[in-house]
Amino acid sequence: MKILVPIKRVADPDNANKVKVAPDGSSVTSEGLEWKLNPFDEWSLEAALRLTENAAEKSRVGEVVVVTIGPKDATQTIRQGLAMGAERAIRVEGDDAQLDAWQVASVLAAVAKKEQPDLIIMGKQVVDGDSNVVPQYLAELLGWPALNYAQSLTTDAEGKTVKAQRELDTGVETLEVDGPAVITCADRILHPQAVKNGVTPDDFTYPAIEGGRYATLKGIMKAKRKPIDETTVGDLGVEAAATVQYTAFELPPARSGNTTFVESVEELVEKLHADAKVL
Amino acid sequence: MTEEKMPSFMRSLCMGRIEQDVLLPFPTMRDGDKEMLQGVAEALSSMLGAHEEDFRRWDREGEFPSEYIDELKEFGAFGLIIPEDEGGLGFGSMAYSRALQEVAKYDASTAVTIGAHSSIGMRGLKLFGTDEQKKRYYPKLSTGEMIAAFCLTEPGAGSDAASIATVAKRDGDDWVLNGNKLWITNGGIASFFTVFAKTDASKRGGMTAFIVTTEMEGVSVGPHEDKMGLRASSTTTVNFDEVRVPADHMLGEEGQGFKVAMKILNSGRTGLGGGSVGAMKKIIEMATAQASERKQFGQAIKDFGLIQQKIGQMVVDCYAAESVVTLVAGLVDAGHEDYAVEAAISKVFATEALWRTADEGLQVAGGNGYMCEFPYERMLRDCRINRIFEGTNDILRLFIALTGMNGVASELKELASLRKSIFSHPIKGFGVLSDYATKQAQLRTGIRAEGTHFTRLVPELAAYADSFEDATRELATATDRVLRKHGKGIIGKQFATRRLAEIMIDLFVWAAVMARVNDAIAAGADDAEQQREILHVFAGAATKRIRHQLRRIDDNDDETLKSVAAHAFELGRFAWDTI
Repeated sequence: MKILVPIKRVADPDNANKVKVAPDGSSVTSEGLEWKLNPFDEWSLEAALRLTENAAEKSRVGEVVVVTIGPKDATQTIRQGLAMGAERAIRVEGDDAQLDAWQVASVLAAVAKKEQPDLIIMGKQVVDGDSNVVPQYLAELLGWPALNYAQSLTTDAEGKTVKAQRELDTGVETLEVDGPAVITCADRILHPQAVKNGVTPDDFTYPAIEGGRYATLKGIMKAKRKPIDETTVGDLGVEAAATVQYTAFELPPARSGNTTFVESVEELVEKLHADAKVL
Repeated sequence: MTEEKMPSFMRSLCMGRIEQDVLLPFPTMRDGDKEMLQGVAEALSSMLGAHEEDFRRWDREGEFPSEYIDELKEFGAFGLIIPEDEGGLGFGSMAYSRALQEVAKYDASTAVTIGAHSSIGMRGLKLFGTDEQKKRYYPKLSTGEMIAAFCLTEPGAGSDAASIATVAKRDGDDWVLNGNKLWITNGGIASFFTVFAKTDASKRGGMTAFIVTTEMEGVSVGPHEDKMGLRASSTTTVNFDEVRVPADHMLGEEGQGFKVAMKILNSGRTGLGGGSVGAMKKIIEMATAQASERKQFGQAIKDFGLIQQKIGQMVVDCYAAESVVTLVAGLVDAGHEDYAVEAAISKVFATEALWRTADEGLQVAGGNGYMCEFPYERMLRDCRINRIFEGTNDILRLFIALTGMNGVASELKELASLRKSIFSHPIKGFGVLSDYATKQAQLRTGIRAEGTHFTRLVPELAAYADSFEDATRELATATDRVLRKHGKGIIGKQFATRRLAEIMIDLFVWAAVMARVNDAIAAGADDAEQQREILHVFAGAATKRIRHQLRRIDDNDDETLKSVAAHAFELGRFAWDTI
């Protein structure tokens, strides 16, 4: 089975307070911030790796290809994906801060047509722009089914059919879909038994982790030698114009930092109405 | 490797010369290595961070579970210094030292397990191994299938390593090994031992290094030792009973074992230094958080001067330790060969800076610091051994001073022999004598002779460079004076030797800090001013310490103190009571 996993770098979400807006309000600056892999993408990559390995024997049985759109610097993020275990990577040259969701989806669709994966597994959103529309656009462009917020994934050994559970407000929904398809994951996909692929023994339990698996030192060294295809939007034949124009950015007003303790719900409602003016 | 051989900074310094090209530019990592090392540091902190609670438990239990050692193997932690094409990570000294720094932030027992393997256990194979030996053992050592241990210490041979009793006798194609080794780190989990044994009974130190594996019959290990710190790491005796070691398992040449051992220890020092720096960074992080949260007398204790003094000093110590360890690692990576004194200084300084930091960090935490619930007490216990193993800091001080003044000694020797034969070699004799006289005059007057001044430092550091040059002249003059006074007898003058060592340690660390700050200023680093402040504090304190040591060379109570000690030895106890 071959899985394409789109990944994107984001300014370290643990230091989001360091994000600044350019003085003229034209852009958000991320200077001096460390780049991290978008957490949603990290979970999806973990799910994709679990679907393509025999975890008991620590061997790979399928292929995971990570793809990103970004400048040369973004290679660091790709290497992280490769160090975690992906087989190879594609970097599409582009300014990741300027592209809108439609352009990203168009580029990814072109890559998918070329790569012909059995599945695309991706984060439902990226924690910088938080649009949550690329997966849906992408499925539409490819004419593939879209399956959002999977909390468990089960495939047979061939990986053609995917059974997924989605957690909804009304309960858990179980769906079955034939690939190729676009799948996004919820954080429960990291549960020790959330992913089964018919190769790893059914009783195998993954360790409980908060993000994706850590890259081992061996993984990091191997990643140095794994292939990274570099391509451009033009080479892929994509001509998508931006559909969103950003007119200005501003930081949210600083919080006062004052904490008020209230004795009762009545007092709380009164204060929210009279002082905070939110009710 | 450098084309021309660079001189040892400290040997030159003792003769009054400042080899600034050794210091500048301050070593930095290449961009590619930097990026990879960032990944390595992140990977290490994800792997080790998940075990934070376990480390406390394993310390109490006094042992790592074998699953954890397996996890380290799987992770690749044993392949750090093995070349990439042999399955390792191919780290140079700087990268290796930096990686151990990251490990030591989480757990010293883990750091020493990895360190004993890479810094000393298999370092002999890396430095002296034949291609065939490397081919045979690298693959297994890099995966951790074989873990390595360094077997030098014996019940009767600690600091005096040349006095080992383990023997190897040649018998046909084999050597037959008999003896017992003590306090061997990784003893219980290792299967690859670098063992030192006497091969020439007629000569003191007539020893040879061998690769011994647990596959050979007659190798056994004792029980896990119950230790003050590093409790989860394995320390055992290792015993050799009629072990037949094939002759092709010799490391280095026959009879060269002592040199092999010293080279291994020198080369591995930046590992321990890196570990010390990592632990300091962690303690500073904990202590600043503690001082910001803890309130007494109605305010956070970080607002009190005595707490600020402690935190400030910890930062200065850590910056200085990191600078000197990095400088030495950089020298190793750049192919310098004569760095033994500098490496010894980095070990002494970094391990003592960590001890001070662990002690003061615990003090900042107050009663909490003494509770096993918090990591302070464990870190204090763990780091105590650093001043003892891989060469005690006392022995290293003697080594630093005696080796440092080697150059001055040979100069004086040449002078003495020429003085006698001046009439048979008048031209050469007068030349050398007048060179010496000129040098002494320059040292005393501070005349700007070439090579005795900094010319490559940024102007902002001129004042520090001046006082460094003053101190250097004083060191050179003092070395000359001490040597002319004691001659060969200096070997027995430990009080005087130690004073010179203290000066040399301060000066080399000062030089390292100054070089690092210089490059930060030159590069226009945002925090260059903060770094200059650290240099300011260090240089000021070092100047005072150096002045004190210099004064005490001639004006001291050494003989009186010896007499006090002699009295105690005679009685075998403290003589007084107030009853």
